[in-house]
Amino acid sequence: MSKILERIATCILEGDVEQTAKLVKRALDEGTPAGQIMDEGLLAGTTQIRPLLLAGGSKQAGKVLLGTVKGDLHDIGKNLVSMMCEGAGFEVIDIGFNVEPEAFVEAIKKHQPEVVGMSAMLTTTMRAMGYTIKAIEEAGLRDRVKIMVGGAPVDADFSKRIGADGYGSNAPAGADLAKKFVGAA
Amino acid sequence: MPAASARLPVVVVTCKVLASALERLLPPDLAEDVTLLEYGLHRAPAKLTASVQEALDAIQVPSLVILGYGLCGNGLRGIRSGAHTLLVPRTDDCIAILLGSYKAYMRHFSAEPGTYWLTKGWLEAGSHPLKEYQEYTARWGADEALWLLDQQYRNYKRIALVAPNLEEMAQYRASAQEVARFCERWGYRYEEVLGSDDYVTRLIEAAVALRDGAPAASTGPDFLVIPPAAEIKQEMFMRG
Repeated sequence: MSKILERIATCILEGDVEQTAKLVKRALDEGTPAGQIMDEGLLAGTTQIRPLLLAGGSKQAGKVLLGTVKGDLHDIGKNLVSMMCEGAGFEVIDIGFNVEPEAFVEAIKKHQPEVVGMSAMLTTTMRAMGYTIKAIEEAGLRDRVKIMVGGAPVDADFSKRIGADGYGSNAPAGADLAKKFVGAA
Repeated sequence: MPAASARLPVVVVTCKVLASALERLLPPDLAEDVTLLEYGLHRAPAKLTASVQEALDAIQVPSLVILGYGLCGNGLRGIRSGAHTLLVPRTDDCIAILLGSYKAYMRHFSAEPGTYWLTKGWLEAGSHPLKEYQEYTARWGADEALWLLDQQYRNYKRIALVAPNLEEMAQYRASAQEVARFCERWGYRYEEVLGSDDYVTRLIEAAVALRDGAPAASTGPDFLVIPPAAEIKQEMFMRG
């Protein structure tokens, strides 16, 4: 494994979100294939974390529930946020893509996360984020979770309009937000 | 405010994806000028914004501009009308326009959100997974190309060719099926969807009505009319 990929894995292990992003960019600039960075850097880092967390009884940062909203099948961004959140010490519950608002509500009841992250890739589907937040409100759960949103067409202005607590413009920003929400940043 | 009798010249600025529909349907004496912009600018929405703005700013006389775009990944957000009045289909992208209505699009969308749409324009421009495979392979090799494409496309279920009539459907069937065969690696099913000229027809009718002094509100919920010195905003496209 190349040096830079090892360093990426280590950064994930240490929860150094900013440095991870920088190193990935450098690896890409150097021509390292994206798949290799993913497998030997990012994923290598996260898979090392899990057993450590489970065995050590080290306190986790909290729980993050992630999903791509209804009608949307794009999950690359969400998967990256998931990885970065795991790297930052969160337990991540990934409920997949094309997730109905009611399914978010049920998952919140079941897993009781501190943070809920929603992703959408299309302007057609970003509205579903608003509907999902409404459903969470109607279920009486809005005060129990911090909600962060992200995805190509989403911006801070939109996130405010639909009543989210925060917006992340990329995966590290998502993990940073989650840390802020639980007071770990 | 111009008097209702002051007829604005009509100008078209459109993505090439609507070129053939406009060619068929635009009355020959309606538009003073038609500017066709390249396919696929929405992939880098900031580029789309810049290209459309440049085309608008280049129009010398205050005009009624038919903008052949939807919101297109926020590509139209921030466009300033300047001296012109803009008439814009109120849709997320060109698929609703090619299907004939927003309702038709929503019907298809709720039936199968995982649809990869193919059109004459996309096939001609080479914007589809098979072409991407060829391009990615040239840059990074076949394994890497497939890994990248798997990440992008594995969740879709259907690939659908949309054409406004059976002639165009027949003309593009072979190349659509070639792309569809490549997409079988993700289990896509291939379908053909007969679109409609209806949205473009209504767009042209709305332009004629506006030019002849009809109030903006009369164009209805399927169009946005942006007056001079205003800016296009994302939320204008959001329906119910």
